[in-house]
Amino acid sequence: MLSLTVEQRSWMHRLPVWLKLLLLCLFTLVLWPLADWRLLLASCLPVVLLYASAGRYFAKLGAQRLKPVVYLVAIIFIYQVVTGRIEEGLAICLKIIATVSLANLVTMTSRLDDMMAVIETLAKPFHALGLPPRALGFAMGLVIRFTPLFLQRGTQLNQAWRARSPRRTSPRLLVPLALSAIDDADRVAEALKARGGLQNTKTKETQSDSAPQ
Amino acid sequence: MMNNAIVLDGVNHQLNDKPFFKDLSIELREKRIGLIGRNGSGKSTLARMISGLIEPEAGEIRVHGVDIAKDRKKAIETIGLIFQNPDHQIIFPTVEEEIAFGLESLSGNRKQAREGARSFLASFGRLDWAERGTFTLSQGQRHLVCLMAVLAMQPKAVLLDEPFAGLDWPTTRRLYHWLDGLEQQVVLVTHDIDHLESYDRILWLEKGQLIADGAPADVLPAYREKMERLVFSDDEILGPGLPATNGEQG
Repeated sequence: MLSLTVEQRSWMHRLPVWLKLLLLCLFTLVLWPLADWRLLLASCLPVVLLYASAGRYFAKLGAQRLKPVVYLVAIIFIYQVVTGRIEEGLAICLKIIATVSLANLVTMTSRLDDMMAVIETLAKPFHALGLPPRALGFAMGLVIRFTPLFLQRGTQLNQAWRARSPRRTSPRLLVPLALSAIDDADRVAEALKARGGLQNTKTKETQSDSAPQ
Repeated sequence: MMNNAIVLDGVNHQLNDKPFFKDLSIELREKRIGLIGRNGSGKSTLARMISGLIEPEAGEIRVHGVDIAKDRKKAIETIGLIFQNPDHQIIFPTVEEEIAFGLESLSGNRKQAREGARSFLASFGRLDWAERGTFTLSQGQRHLVCLMAVLAMQPKAVLLDEPFAGLDWPTTRRLYHWLDGLEQQVVLVTHDIDHLESYDRILWLEKGQLIADGAPADVLPAYREKMERLVFSDDEILGPGLPATNGEQG
């Protein structure tokens, strides 16, 4: 779901990020109480049109990035069918597809630092509670940045496995995957530190000195 | 001994939804083969296709007679792949486990594989490495573990995808020298063309197409000249000329 921003530009890249997030928020709020699958199917139309307006490449990429959601939706739908609630199942699935696609579109058309700035602004009220807004924005940015890398790491480990074993990859690979994620986290922490990282904010006082050495 | 070649027959494959390898056919019988080309020329993809990790969309690849994409059991007996970055290849926390993994895949017997790994380490004079954590090893030692893990499986061919990057000069030279002595067929993907002069055959790949294919004495000088010319000209990887720096006159 957390797709990388796309190199190819579109008119939506020029919209301010806060506006896009606000529209996404409104869209989700409007959709959520709806229960009629016909209405929800119609609500997918503007999303499809938005993708299409950015060009064929964009639409194709959007469809590709929906793939992980499709599995989830399929499971939900099967469950609903089994329990005899076909119409409700259809409604929930369409809701998920519409909102996730729109959220993907916002991510694809927004710069990471702009997104982080919005989150920082929103998080300001929580500063009094001890939550450093900059760290929060940073954390979200890092998730978006490193999720694809994490998936890539999974692919690499899978290849390393298959290069030396005829069997399918086993769940044993989860351990090295987790370890390498921790390892990567250490390296990112180092890289952040090397360029000043979060040092100039309040986080310096609230965080312990557990940075990797 | 009839079929000790890597054979690509009419290979077509897309990269990023665009046709990249177009009807590529090669037959590699030589013992030492170098594969060169710029970043993004398709070297790594080709290496993964020859190792059977990626199946080409059309065409056939056989390594020493084995259909390496379909028959994975035979494939791992036939070809070993050394990854560019040891951290991408090393799966297990200790050296012994890392080496035993491939042996277990071959024999299906864990205990036997562990013993095999130990005796293999002993034959390298590195039995003391068995219990060591793979993450505590130095970069050069990790590269050696990757080589050992693959060679312990006694494949008929070894494919190295830009190995030894970031190693110091003596370590690199030592590993290359040792590589030269192997009885296996070796395919080396590299930017380090100095090491290829003693090889039997050089393939030069650009954008999925073979630009040159021949003896090092013919291919390497042409490659060097072309690359030298690219240093000061606009190109598609770095884009147009870079701004002048203080150290540069005119």
